[in-house]
Amino acid sequence: MILIAIDHAHGAPRRGAFELVSAARGLGSDVAAVVLGGPEAAPVAAALAAFVPSVVHVDDAALDHPSHERRTTALASVAGELGAEVVLLVAGRGGQAVAPRLALRLGGTLLEDVAAVRRDGTAVVAERLAYLSRASLTVRATAAPVVVSVKPGAYPAAAPADAPGSVASRSVAFTAADDAARPGERRSVARGRVALEEADVVVCGGRGLGDAASFERLVVGLADELGAGVASTRAVVDAGWRPYDEQVGQTGKSVAPKLYFALGVSGAVQHLSGMNRSGTVVAVNKDGDAPIFKASDYGIVGDVREVLPALRAALAGLD
Amino acid sequence: MIIATYVKHVPDAEARLAADGGRIAVDDHAYALDGMDEYGVEAAVRLKEAGLADEVVALAIGPARSEAALRTALALGADRAVLLETDDDLDPLAQAGPLAEATRACGAELLLVGGKQADWDSAALGPAVAEALGWPVCDWTTELRLEGREVAAVHDVDDGSEAWSASLPVVVTTQQGLNEPRYPTLPNIMKAKRKPLERRPLTATARVVTLAAALPSRARRGVRLEGDAATVASELARRLRDEAKVL
Amino acid sequence: MDFALPDDLLALQRAVRDFAQREIAPVAVELDREPRFPRATLRKMGEMGLLGILTPEAYGGLGLGYLAYAVLLEEIAAADAAHATIASVTNGMPQSLILTHGSAAQRDRWLPRLAAGDAIGAFCLSEPHAGSDAAALRTRARRVDGGYRLDGSKAWITSGGEADLYLVLAKTDPEAGARGITAFVLERDTPGLSFGAPERKLGQHAAITTSVRFDDAFVPEDQRLGEEGQGFVMAMSALDGGRVGIAAQALGIARAAFAAAARHAEEREAFGRPIREFQGVGFKLADMATRIEAARLLTHRAAWLLDRGTQATKEVSMAKLAASEAAVFVCDAAVQVFGGYGYSADYPVERYLRDARVTTLYEGTSEIQRVVIARQIHRETAR
Repeated sequence: MILIAIDHAHGAPRRGAFELVSAARGLGSDVAAVVLGGPEAAPVAAALAAFVPSVVHVDDAALDHPSHERRTTALASVAGELGAEVVLLVAGRGGQAVAPRLALRLGGTLLEDVAAVRRDGTAVVAERLAYLSRASLTVRATAAPVVVSVKPGAYPAAAPADAPGSVASRSVAFTAADDAARPGERRSVARGRVALEEADVVVCGGRGLGDAASFERLVVGLADELGAGVASTRAVVDAGWRPYDEQVGQTGKSVAPKLYFALGVSGAVQHLSGMNRSGTVVAVNKDGDAPIFKASDYGIVGDVREVLPALRAALAGLD
Repeated sequence: MIIATYVKHVPDAEARLAADGGRIAVDDHAYALDGMDEYGVEAAVRLKEAGLADEVVALAIGPARSEAALRTALALGADRAVLLETDDDLDPLAQAGPLAEATRACGAELLLVGGKQADWDSAALGPAVAEALGWPVCDWTTELRLEGREVAAVHDVDDGSEAWSASLPVVVTTQQGLNEPRYPTLPNIMKAKRKPLERRPLTATARVVTLAAALPSRARRGVRLEGDAATVASELARRLRDEAKVL
Repeated sequence: MDFALPDDLLALQRAVRDFAQREIAPVAVELDREPRFPRATLRKMGEMGLLGILTPEAYGGLGLGYLAYAVLLEEIAAADAAHATIASVTNGMPQSLILTHGSAAQRDRWLPRLAAGDAIGAFCLSEPHAGSDAAALRTRARRVDGGYRLDGSKAWITSGGEADLYLVLAKTDPEAGARGITAFVLERDTPGLSFGAPERKLGQHAAITTSVRFDDAFVPEDQRLGEEGQGFVMAMSALDGGRVGIAAQALGIARAAFAAAARHAEEREAFGRPIREFQGVGFKLADMATRIEAARLLTHRAAWLLDRGTQATKEVSMAKLAASEAAVFVCDAAVQVFGGYGYSADYPVERYLRDARVTTLYEGTSEIQRVVIARQIHRETAR
């Protein structure tokens, strides 16, 4: 059977949960979802029941914002009990930390951050990127169970199933090792804006903006008008104009929106590795030789500070 | 207290890649110490400079050329180095056991690992070796303090940051923002040649097999729009709507 | 025969390349437009060890040879030529002459400061009326009680007014021609030592160049380097090292210009294909790459000969001639590959061309190099 681990926030599954449903359905019909967390997670489990035949809710407030160790133990316990052959997680930060621990704990294999996963006979085979996303590898797991972390956005969100599934509640016993780490205060950076990985449109600004004020006025301004996520290059983050969590690239986030604006971004390979799965890419840069143009569908050579106001006006003027 | 810091010798960002049969071929001269690991070496050396650690040991797994990454770590301030030498492409889970063993063998209680490796694009090694050691892991760390045996950190989580604390021993994965790594100065590079570097043969079995490798290039339209700002802007808006159909 | 650089040197080269591209290259454009002496980057270069490459480790230097010197200086020049000029001057004459001719006390006093980059060195030979004709110097050093008093002026002094130590050649015996020249080391705050306004130059704007004046400037006896009358021979013996440095610098500029041109030829399309596919551009790139490669081989071999202690005056001049002429050729060709953009200050190649131009002029013009080469050939073939 295929087990999917559900991330949730504010009493609802995250978008990635429904992408995992799609990935799981491609691997088999016997799909179960596991939801971790106290009472707040109950509606999440109920929501998932519309998509998969069976949902396990590990009902324990100790699993609200759990450490990686607790989460690993809870998932391992459920996967073991259900005899899962494949466990799917979303390859966000949390999923990428838990998946390796879980795979080792289960004595299985990890296929990490995959863009696609399929069965090849009894084997599990996946496609993933490597070398700063410049190469694509087809990889096969050599031992079961197979833990797979799936790249956000790689699969479409699934439609509900024909028949609703069941929800079962259960508990898990933790050990002292699970409590060694003590997660503390969380600071959310969402600020009411759409999460970068989930945005359909991302507006990214680079050093070509000149200064932090121009970035705020032009890049954030355009993002607000489009309901888009705001992203930055490493140079911008290093310069202190923007926070780390907006950084896209090798050392930051990896995004794949339908539309990506690279504004004043030169296009170093480290940056490209975080955005080259985007649908349509628009680049504006003063340097006509900037590598970003090679990675773009539409390129405008010019000063981003002159082009952007005109572009905002033009976008606003579309019917 | 002894700190172990893992380093990997990876192709640099400008390296030319070639898909050669089922694997990716890289020019031997295009390798360097993984930038993500530099934050870990820097953190370890700073803890030692602050009198909070006695020794910094750099650990690497890989082919003989990985010695260059270890020499860089030694030039940056590590005291000694150990190379677990193998020519096999080992996935992070296959590396976790040997790395855990080497960490125990040098008596380290803090193991630093780069948050993401630039060859496999993998963030798995830190958590995997933590599992093999039975230690907690703080991933994507941006702040790290050590008071006695207490580790206080801040790290990135899916939608923000989180404070994190634990007692030694722990695994910490490092990233940009944790510190500003120093350069290896030329005198220190020369001195690093005289620091101890031990090579041990490693036999391990990969758990993940690469069936095929390719260098995909996504076809882009590559349209250049030219003219004054107002003209190109309205042309772009029109094309985004009518041609790319993304608005 | 092995043309590969040693692994140890490759590791140093890689470290300097990373350093130069991250720390020096980003300030190059700004320093070209608003020239100022780059103290902040020079301090970092000192920490890296790049300002005492040839000076022995005992004095805080790296103790490397000329091959390493050439390889590392090329990396600095590929990021910014002005930094390479300042570095080659302070690495060069001041340190090599103090090392070979200074007393133990003088070496202890000055070398550690220079090698660490705590002090920047300048070399004062050229005068308004005497460039390569050093024997025609007019700056006088008169013996007085406890030392000397200097009068006269020097021209085209790199780091003038900015450097901390000045190695000065002056005539102690005007009747004795080249044998009447003596070397002195002056601190910047010496009374009677003053500097002209920075020269306005075609390129390398951050390598501040001024005239230097001596008005009855007193130099204590213990700041005389070597014996009276040895100055000219001293300076001539160290010329080869300096010329290898300029050859390496020219290579660095040429390499940067070639890289920019090759990238542009790949990115820029005309009539539906990258312009490198047009033979006119492709042949140009082939010639550029060939000139660079040839000059690098000459430069590395000349440096290697110096490291072996072999007489290499001819080979050094050949390297300097070939590399500097190649740099001007390559940078000019790069402007052509860029077309109209090459003439624009928004693109880097016009700066490379301006920066490269001086390499065929200083440390002996191309004509002087030919004189040297011809003289050496004559000596070899004469019976």
